[in-house]
Amino acid sequence: MAESTNRPARPQRLVGAWWGPAVGLSALGFYASATLPADTPTREIYFNIPQGIWAVYVFMSALVGLLVYGFVRHSSLWSIGKPTPGVLRDVPQRLRNAIRLGMAQDKVRRDRYAGIMHWCIFSSIIVLTLVTAQVAIDADSPLDFLHGPYYLFFSFYGDLFGLIGLIGVGMALYRRYFAQMHRIRWDERLEDHLIIVGLGLVLLSGFFVEAARIMVTELEQHPDWARWSFGAFTLAKGLDVFGFEEHQLLSFHAAAWWFHVSMAFGWLGLIVFTRLDHIFFAPINAFFLRTDSPGRLAKIENIEEQEVFGVGFIQDFTWKQLFELDACVRCGRCTEVCPANISGQPLSPMHLIQDLKAHLANVGPAIAQHRHETGDAGREVSPVALIGDVIHDETLWACRTCGACVQECPVMIEHVPTIVDMRRYLVMSEARIPATAQAALENMEMRGHPWRGTALERTTWMEGLGEVPIFDGSQDYLYWVGCSGSLVERNLPITKAVFRLVKESGASFGVLGQEETCNGDPARRLGNEYLFQILAQQLVETFKAKNVQKVITNCPHCFNTFKNEYPQFDGNFEVIHHTEFLAGAMQTGALKATHAVNANVTYHDSCYLGRINGVYDAPRQILELVPGTNLTEMQRNLSKGLCCGAGGGNMWQEEVGERRVNHVRSEEAIGTGADQVISNCPFCIQMFEDGVPAIHPEEEGRMRPFDIAELLEKSVFGETVTAGEQSS
Amino acid sequence: MHIVVCAKQIPDPETPPAAFKIDAATNKVIPAAGIAPVLSQFDGIAAEAALRIKEAKGGKVTVISLGAESAQAAIKQVLAMGADEGVLLKDAAFDDGDSYTTAKALAAAIKKLGDVDAVFCGRQAADWDMGQVGLLVAEELGWPVAIIAKGVEATDSGLKIQRVLADGFETVEMPLPAVVTVSNEFGDPRYPKLPQIMAAAKKTVTPWAAADLGLDAGSVGKAGARLQLQKLFIPEKSSKVELIAGDTPQEQAAALVAKLVADKTL
Ligand SMILES: Cc1cc2nc3c(=O)[nH]c(=O)nc-3n(C[C@@H](O)[C@H](O)[C@H](O)COP(=O)(O)OP(=O)(O)OC[C@H]3O[C@@H](n4cnc5c(N)ncnc54)[C@H](O)[C@@H]3O)c2cc1C
Ligand code: SF4
Ligand code: SF4
Repeated sequence: MAESTNRPARPQRLVGAWWGPAVGLSALGFYASATLPADTPTREIYFNIPQGIWAVYVFMSALVGLLVYGFVRHSSLWSIGKPTPGVLRDVPQRLRNAIRLGMAQDKVRRDRYAGIMHWCIFSSIIVLTLVTAQVAIDADSPLDFLHGPYYLFFSFYGDLFGLIGLIGVGMALYRRYFAQMHRIRWDERLEDHLIIVGLGLVLLSGFFVEAARIMVTELEQHPDWARWSFGAFTLAKGLDVFGFEEHQLLSFHAAAWWFHVSMAFGWLGLIVFTRLDHIFFAPINAFFLRTDSPGRLAKIENIEEQEVFGVGFIQDFTWKQLFELDACVRCGRCTEVCPANISGQPLSPMHLIQDLKAHLANVGPAIAQHRHETGDAGREVSPVALIGDVIHDETLWACRTCGACVQECPVMIEHVPTIVDMRRYLVMSEARIPATAQAALENMEMRGHPWRGTALERTTWMEGLGEVPIFDGSQDYLYWVGCSGSLVERNLPITKAVFRLVKESGASFGVLGQEETCNGDPARRLGNEYLFQILAQQLVETFKAKNVQKVITNCPHCFNTFKNEYPQFDGNFEVIHHTEFLAGAMQTGALKATHAVNANVTYHDSCYLGRINGVYDAPRQILELVPGTNLTEMQRNLSKGLCCGAGGGNMWQEEVGERRVNHVRSEEAIGTGADQVISNCPFCIQMFEDGVPAIHPEEEGRMRPFDIAELLEKSVFGETVTAGEQSS
Repeated sequence: MHIVVCAKQIPDPETPPAAFKIDAATNKVIPAAGIAPVLSQFDGIAAEAALRIKEAKGGKVTVISLGAESAQAAIKQVLAMGADEGVLLKDAAFDDGDSYTTAKALAAAIKKLGDVDAVFCGRQAADWDMGQVGLLVAEELGWPVAIIAKGVEATDSGLKIQRVLADGFETVEMPLPAVVTVSNEFGDPRYPKLPQIMAAAKKTVTPWAAADLGLDAGSVGKAGARLQLQKLFIPEKSSKVELIAGDTPQEQAAALVAKLVADKTL
């Protein structure tokens, strides 16, 4: 399909696999040099620093010792966590993740500036470490390869990456000290200054050391060699105008060398004490990243036999969940995109992760020791309660499970399962839950749907549609209407539209009518895993008994649950969302959008269809094929789309905070100037129905929310089946 | 303190109007397909009141329901909230009774339990809305009763009750044993914790028939009922719209007032 307007290009690799050519060239140069006579260009290793060699090894041993200490200290904390099921499943995929997300840093690059900056620093550190390693090998092993063309090339790329590193540092300094209110300063600490200023000093001092050496040994003797170290050469030329004596240069060189080497090792030592540890933890966490769908929450196996439900104590997280706390670099990306945070509600995923991390550091050692001594879980060890004291109830309830934080996190932290685990504890172990959410859960228990007080029946939507086929196992598709599609007044026209379109496409299908029950999604996301399992098991049995193979849903939440979560209950069905079905039917010509719908529209990606299940194209294809529609995208779209505010059970909660999420999103939709906001989810539509009038009180010229099926219905049939009812 | 909670299972008050049907021949509500009966809302609140006293003062809570086998679900719900034991009064002889026969059976069961200090009922069952059973149970037992309570507290000598009146509240103190009917102003019932739901699922509910209570089948249910149901029907609803004429809002308002006065609405 053609690119829609305002659509951001897919993230591009900045420099591709930069290290591939680098390694290749090095190998070539290495080979060439090893075969050349020894009087070719070279330099004296440890020039002017007779003690250099032992100093480097002392520093090196200290660093290794420090790293081992750090690892042991951290791992004793992770080890208080529970086992992580399936963490060694799909190893090839995990290795690919470690390379793609950990080394190539696909996520870091989602922010362009940060991506370039980080690449500069990262590649510079890697290359300069290799440079240093080669120096060590050349000096202390029988191998002697730093001479000849390879030496010149080596000098060149050493300088190049030194410079690249300085550019990165410059960008980082600018961002930290001059860019206003940047996300990286939301939780700024002393270490952040140390890291960036320290790195700058290491790189700069490196250039000065080299420049001083060049001034003594090459500037006059071998200017043609010196040129290859172009950075230091330029610096040497510059310093040369001051006409220093050789002994001055030698003392300066020695001082700079000691400064450089101790700074460099000191800086590497920061890995153990600061967020620099992400150098190791990020790729490892990428390896541990789930390989199944982000739309799937973990199943509590044998729930009836458990004693503790969810996570109410830090040691009830899995060790992987504890490990990832340590990977967080406080970059603020998660918080920056969090709909709750954007709306001034009491949730910042970054602070949540950091608070958990601090709590782990506080109480973890005592718990580990208690475990060691008594063998019991040590739930009484902590003087503060994880939930309530460390993480507040309202923080957990504010989450939409929209996955925006997970999507952006450059170190692959999965906030959503962690948040839901704590909700599970609140709901199942503590029964501490906001009244309106409780009412929804009770309603699901008592009535099999979350819509308290509805006056509609599951078959009300069928009125005026003629004969509606009931699914009996002989048809290809089950059209699943869902609770929202049948019990909420606003959604009936959508349900009808999908029905008419599926029928028009000629597909063989049926519906369940009165026999539909809630699929359990709101219960699971609100933390009532027990209720979810009961509802899911029940429905899987119904589907199997009726020989359901393929399901069309008009709700991304039903879609996600059937598709990603029912396999946990041995329910394997082919599930498609109506946008996919309708786009497919239009492609094959089974549905023809003939009537022009003259409308300026904007399209809202629901979280559970878009970000979580990756369906971005089908709805846009439909919009493109409906004559007369003109799509203007919102700034936040596709995988960066902003939640409507209803996800994660927030459809049934009172919002606390400055603004309501649906007001924020409605404002963005209105900002496009479109006269219709099109979506694909009954919750989103309800949120817009409520949010748009709040932002645009005058009825005149007010944008209207529609499901994409309603739009298509107009185009296929010329009019909606409910048009008469609506105008009366 | 041993408190008995009387809990009734009723047809779901949130049954969609279109699904609510009456069998004119038998004068009975036809249970709506796929809509399970529920615990009467006020009885969950009565249970909450009892459980709070148990938490404050210790003791035990027993839940009793008179009804069909399905009423087990209502009993389990109160057990899941934290009640200790459940009793189901189930007997064909209880069928088609009225508030009086229900109270009689409940009172007999309470006497059989023996060591009961207080009985908590809902202010009214949310189906028939009679508001009789609590009072009649008290009558049968010969205990004092306080109705429509918004606050219930155990004191050293008995209970301190805050009652809802038409124009305010009043606080009364009563000795034990006593009967209290609890109103929605008390607050919401708790959401059960999962471990308790599981424990409740494992508990067995004691079934008692009329004979277990020493009640003669002829004195309960339809045979013992004093209330005769004449006709059960859904009222016909009709609406007439009359547009009030007038050129300005002021004129329309004046015409409306005149009309309301003429109709004796005002
Ligand atoms: C002619 C007639 C026919 C009826 N037929 C049936 C029938 O077929 N099936 C049926 O279930 N009901 C039937 N009823 C309802 C009948 O059983 C009683 O009216 C009912 O049990 C008392 O309810 P109430 O609405 O009067 O209670 P209220 O007096 O309004 O109830 C107050 C409180 O008393 C307690 N309570 C009331 N009833 C019970 C109970 N059953 N178990 C435990 N605690 C209770 C509760 O705490 C409740 O909150 C019929 C009533 C009449 C008049
Ligand atoms: S899932 Fe969405 S709402 Fe929840 S913390 Fe992440 S970004 Fe915020
Ligand atoms: S959780 Fe991830 S995105 Fe959020 S601050 Fe930490 S590293 Fe950044």
